[in-house]
Amino acid sequence: MLDLFMTIFFMIIKVIGITLILLLLPVPLTWLERKVAGHIQQRLGPMRVGWHGLLQPIADGIKLLTKEDNIPIYADKTLFKLAPIISLIPPFLVFVAVPFGEDVTLFGRKTGLYISDMNIGLLYIFAVAGLEVYGVILGGWASNSKYALLGGLRCCAQLISYEIPLGFSVMGVIMLTGSMSLLDIVEAQSQIWNVVYQPIGFFVFLVAGIAEAQRIPFDLAEAEGDLGSGYHTEYSGMRFAFFMLTEYIVMLTVSVLIVLLFFGGWNGPFLPPIVWFILKVGFFVYLFMWFRFTFPRYRYDQLMSIGWKVLLPLSLANILITGIFLA
Amino acid sequence: MYRENWLERLEKRYRWIGFTLLLDLIDGLSLTLSYLFSKTITMQYPDREKWIPYPRFRGHHFLRKFENGDTKCVACELCARICPCQCIKVVPYEDEKGNRRPLIYDVNTARCLFCGLCEDACPVEAIALGQHYEFSAYDSKKLLVGKDVLMKMPGKTEEGGKVVRARLVAGEKVFAEPQGKEGYHWWNRIRRR
Repeated sequence: MLDLFMTIFFMIIKVIGITLILLLLPVPLTWLERKVAGHIQQRLGPMRVGWHGLLQPIADGIKLLTKEDNIPIYADKTLFKLAPIISLIPPFLVFVAVPFGEDVTLFGRKTGLYISDMNIGLLYIFAVAGLEVYGVILGGWASNSKYALLGGLRCCAQLISYEIPLGFSVMGVIMLTGSMSLLDIVEAQSQIWNVVYQPIGFFVFLVAGIAEAQRIPFDLAEAEGDLGSGYHTEYSGMRFAFFMLTEYIVMLTVSVLIVLLFFGGWNGPFLPPIVWFILKVGFFVYLFMWFRFTFPRYRYDQLMSIGWKVLLPLSLANILITGIFLA
Repeated sequence: MYRENWLERLEKRYRWIGFTLLLDLIDGLSLTLSYLFSKTITMQYPDREKWIPYPRFRGHHFLRKFENGDTKCVACELCARICPCQCIKVVPYEDEKGNRRPLIYDVNTARCLFCGLCEDACPVEAIALGQHYEFSAYDSKKLLVGKDVLMKMPGKTEEGGKVVRARLVAGEKVFAEPQGKEGYHWWNRIRRR
């Protein structure tokens, strides 16, 4: 009885912990993004609020909280209110299946640094992450504005096109490991990282992952130049902050998945596993920001041709090559 | 007719190799990375730094003085005459020695366009435009400046054109107070390839 109670207790603590981490992580990430943007353009970025502008995201949060929450007259009000929440929930659900490390001993009990080790973890992650598109397309539709609608449609088309190479690129890893559990996949990489065996798979996953996270050079859904800001043109205040939060959590998800699938997860010499994990994820998050302030945006037809004519054949060829080597 | 040399032809023929290896993307990334670690050109005004203008800078007006503290102005009203926006008002009077002196010398800095014609017109080099540039106000009436204020205004800089360390003073008047004379020119910090 006590054992069951403790298990539930630990589970609740882990769920609350991960939720808090995911809700709070965008705060330093926005700061980091603005700093990287500034220094790449020979500026300083935020400097005035706190030490080197560290409290700037909190000031922004207060600003977003106190801003007018505007709903357009012709908007579909129920959907308009629902859309940010629908887009916010799937990225949180993804982290149910994401492990952060192996078992640790807490209060004389062994617990894993994960909520659930599913044997179909990867499948679950892709299934849930695909739901995010509903929030975006509902937000674009409910706003009843042409910019928002076009942004939503573009986003929908983009996410569907890139989900396919994303799924296929992971196939090679699954074939190598023979398991869909992320814990097994990481354990299989304790000697050599998967990126050595799967360079094409990694490349396809990285590019498709950037497209999934709606980052430059694939951020067509919120192209400031031609669409205002796409599906969240009409959103303001806290609802806009929800979309922002989603964007950062998805970026984090993609980084975490790249690290787990191709870069050995928490495996690494000398340093404790969790430090390795954070370092690797941090590097990929930085890489995304670096890309953002280096590359221009792709045109819509280019986006589609990259997805269907380059990434899809590449990922299929990757599966084929992996199969030949395994057989 | 222009004929490509062999290197250009070779480059054109094998361009797809670099394209496939994403060399152009890597080139761009390395450029932004080198900028990331280069010096910034941001001038942290007014928190930490302040721009000291060149001597030729045309800022707030000031009236030059003799050693005894009297103004050099002889109230000839040439500045008021030449002023294109008529923002100078001079009322002369005759003092006990029989000299012509300004009783009122008002400059409306809200109207002034800082052309410096008053400085050129002045026969005794009394009125001039100095280095002071932080005099914005919420009320335009505060921008009507009299003789007493003009005589206390800072003059031209001896050597300018640099960014010096400064401290933000936010009291009744808000300005950045320079700390020390050492400075740099932001122009020299621009990164060039």
